[in-house]
Amino acid sequence: MSVVQDVSTFAGSVRDCFTDAGDSQSLVQDRVDAAVRSEALPVPKYERSDLARRNLAAYSVAGPERAGDWRALAEPFIGADDGHPLLVIADGHVVLTRGLEGLSGQGVVFTSLRGAVREHADLTRSLGTVVPSDDRLLALNAALWRDGAFVFVPKGVRMERPLQLVHVTTTAGHGTFPRNLIVAEADSQVTFLDAYASAGDLPDELCVAVTEVTVGRGARVKAGTVQDFSRSVTSVAVRRAAVDAAGEMDWVTGETGDGFGIVEFGSELDGEGGRSSAHAIAIGTGRAHLDLTARMVHAGRHTTSDISARGVMQDRANAVYRGLTVIKKDAHDANGSQTEKLLMLSPKSRAVAIPMLLIDENDVKCGHAASVGQINPDQLFYLMSRGVSERAAKRMIVWGFIDPVLAELPIDAVRTAMEKVVERKLA
Amino acid sequence: MSIPELKISGLRVAVDHKEILRGVDLAVRGGEIHAVMGPNGTGKSTLASTLMGHPKYEVTAGEASLDGEDLFAMGVDERALKGLFLAMQYPSEVSGVSNANFMRIALNARRGEGNEVPVLKFHRELKEKMKSLSIDETFAERYLNEGFSGGEKKRNEILQMTVLRPRIAILDEIDSGLDIDALRIVADGVNGLRGPEFGALIITHYQRLLEYIHPDFVHVMMQGRIVRSGGRELVEQLEARGYDWLKEELGIADETVGAGA
Ligand SMILES: Nc1ncnc2c1ncn2[C@@H]1O[C@H](COP(=O)(O)OP(=O)(O)OP(=O)(O)O)[C@@H](O)[C@H]1O
Ligand SMILES: [Mg+2]
Repeated sequence: MSVVQDVSTFAGSVRDCFTDAGDSQSLVQDRVDAAVRSEALPVPKYERSDLARRNLAAYSVAGPERAGDWRALAEPFIGADDGHPLLVIADGHVVLTRGLEGLSGQGVVFTSLRGAVREHADLTRSLGTVVPSDDRLLALNAALWRDGAFVFVPKGVRMERPLQLVHVTTTAGHGTFPRNLIVAEADSQVTFLDAYASAGDLPDELCVAVTEVTVGRGARVKAGTVQDFSRSVTSVAVRRAAVDAAGEMDWVTGETGDGFGIVEFGSELDGEGGRSSAHAIAIGTGRAHLDLTARMVHAGRHTTSDISARGVMQDRANAVYRGLTVIKKDAHDANGSQTEKLLMLSPKSRAVAIPMLLIDENDVKCGHAASVGQINPDQLFYLMSRGVSERAAKRMIVWGFIDPVLAELPIDAVRTAMEKVVERKLA
Repeated sequence: MSIPELKISGLRVAVDHKEILRGVDLAVRGGEIHAVMGPNGTGKSTLASTLMGHPKYEVTAGEASLDGEDLFAMGVDERALKGLFLAMQYPSEVSGVSNANFMRIALNARRGEGNEVPVLKFHRELKEKMKSLSIDETFAERYLNEGFSGGEKKRNEILQMTVLRPRIAILDEIDSGLDIDALRIVADGVNGLRGPEFGALIITHYQRLLEYIHPDFVHVMMQGRIVRSGGRELVEQLEARGYDWLKEELGIADETVGAGA
């Protein structure tokens, strides 16, 4: 069905660009629809994070023609030798794959999403259903997503080794639009790791990233994300899972960039007995602005969620942490807890924690704790009274502060990478 | 190694603009054990924390020196590196750093760069010390004081002291919360350090600790001052008669800091 529509210049150029690039007709149509919507929809509003002041035009319809020099950026995130399946995308192009083929024996698919839509149309049907295009930037991603990872784990298959995506941006002005889709069928199990980094000296760049996960009945998915974007990047990342009955979804996120970043992540616990956790660590340096929302929506009965977020702000960095636990009517015996803790290391850093509980049901358990503060002077005194320097003592306290969340990072290599970044940022 | 000397003269200290110490004079030399007693709220912990350098305490007059060097010109860590140690009344909990690692880092800071203790040797010696203080081995890997009971924290303070081997140690109510066996064990830990290169200032409310650690000098604090000094016999007098006779003798109605100003 190729009806030529009368669309805007923008939508028209989206159609031309992705048709030339070889996307299927139906995918091109979805992109065009999204492009049209993006022009009509408002820019999302985040209280305390004013996107209107950022350069949201720092992108183009066509991506970079080829990948730039990606190795130095990507390598710190790649686990050295454990040989887990790996996909590296640079500037929208797949530049390296490792160990993907060996998966097909079990029926597991781990490939670029672009390729998957072409080759596994039946498996990618949930694309766009978990994170609908309901604001301008999400619609923009739906229109322009260049590539990302697709993971499919069939019923009952338990993947032991993690699957990893490393995504880097080496050149600016085109926009960075990653999109991932993870489909875990009933009783399956998988760990997905993704890391995003950008070159340090980029001019303005807009990044909109989307991850969608469907967790089947009794399935278990862990997703661990590390983002380290540079100063002039404006990034908005939305990661959501739809969790079926008795499914489990564990999120971990580490944000270390010094740009302007908004992250929203969490799960919709639709089925009975679903469980989800969300752990986050952010280290803000320079003039970083980090806006982080962990969002758990309980619709099913006996569902459980746990949010635990830590942030360390230094220099003039600014953090807004929101924990949002929504319990819908009839979600009997739902149990949601959340903790947000922020540490400010310098007098010019700023942080605010906003726990939110929206509860429409009586039979629930909810708990929350939020704190924003400086290093406890008694702790510092205690450590220094044993001869440890102020600097070393502060580092111990900061490490102790983030350790409970860092320990949750599901793969050693990524945890080590994260530790290195933290080490560098705290230097 | 020389014989350490901590000298305090005319020390006045304020917290939040409220004067707490109002002229303290005291000298502790290597080989000496000083006991400081006194009712609640009379400034004993204030003295201890000020000497170690807690930022909350403001020295408004007087001076203190360690081996002739101005104590108040040094940072907290410097004081420790020069051999001062404070076992705190309320030790802090710090998560993320294990007890053993922390002690190793502290010991190495004390020993200086290039003179670090070999890791295996450290752990072997730590294990022995923990054993002699009846501290379970698992406490080495637990986070620093996190979730320790009151008595466990106190024992851990003494463990740190025996690892760091300070020259002058201030022990602030190290006996509170200890059961009778632990009291003896902790006292043994302190006695093991006794010698010409070690001096101690022991703050306590109870005679019992001083039965195990014999003090050479005993001081009584009231209203932010040392109001009486003597030998061991003073402990017995206090134990037998309480503080009232002393207050009467001195004409003090209210012994706490705020009073009698
Ligand atoms: N921030 C503060 N503001 C006002 N008063 C304070 C402050 N901190 C301590 N004080 C007071 O200083 C006095 C001395 O306290 P300190 O802890 O030195 O007493 P102490 O002799 O160690 O008592 P205890 O035997 O109960 O441990 C107390 O009256 C206490 O309330
Ligand atoms: Mg006290």
